[in-house]
Amino acid sequence: MIWPINLEGLPGLLAGLGVGVAFGFFLERGGIGDPKKLVGLFYLEDFTMLKVMFAAIATAAAGIGALSALGLMDLGAVAVQTTYIWPQAVGGLILGAGFALGGY
Amino acid sequence: MDARMKPYWSPYAAGVGLGLTLLVTYVLMGFGLGASGAFTHVAAHLEGALSPARAQSNSYIAGYLEAGRVWAQWVVIEVVGVVVGGFLGAWSPGRLQWRLEKGARIGWGRRLLFAFVGGATVGFASRVAQGCTSGLALSGGAVLSPGAWAFTLAFMGGGFVTAWIVRRAWR
Repeated sequence: MIWPINLEGLPGLLAGLGVGVAFGFFLERGGIGDPKKLVGLFYLEDFTMLKVMFAAIATAAAGIGALSALGLMDLGAVAVQTTYIWPQAVGGLILGAGFALGGY
Repeated sequence: MDARMKPYWSPYAAGVGLGLTLLVTYVLMGFGLGASGAFTHVAAHLEGALSPARAQSNSYIAGYLEAGRVWAQWVVIEVVGVVVGGFLGAWSPGRLQWRLEKGARIGWGRRLLFAFVGGATVGFASRVAQGCTSGLALSGGAVLSPGAWAFTLAFMGGGFVTAWIVRRAWR
């Protein structure tokens, strides 16, 4: 298993800049830069945010699973967000409230 | 959006592009994309500059200061990239212009006040949950972190209720 590469130092920062540009580009092209489209989900009128997010999650999850099945990716070396169920549930609730108020 | 602008991509196409970006991030770095962490680094360094003793007495803030210079933090550089990428994405389809998105029934002042209070609320909540819609819902969702999915469901619950209360701001 050769991946993840775990870049550090300047190569890591340059990779961060690159994936950041791609992240911002695809978000904008998908309409995620538009708060009226984002909050549209909460009025059951515009499901763009849901479609973009879930297409992205499914693509990345399938890709990571496929790379692992091919023996290329070591899942044990991938950082998985630690679960703190109550802080994350309460934080999610508050974050959703702020998001609907501010639009992002 | 007015008629001169080209339409957005299919949300599924943009989502697949975003997912491949996230996959490449996991391959290169061993971790996913983020956003709120960058603001935490900046906020910690602002407190460190304005009130060093107070910042050092808070172990959470001090931890961020020990990570080193702001511009050497991966997530800070990544978020700079997001700004550049968003600009580039809006540029060629003619979506670059000065405007404030809002519903027809809310004034500018109140919209900006809502944006400020909403932004502060999101910032606070991202520290409670140790992540935001990027670092937790998107990246954590893709690696099937249970806490990330709990966060995502709760996020939608909070959004649905609050959006109904402030519906005059948007609809």
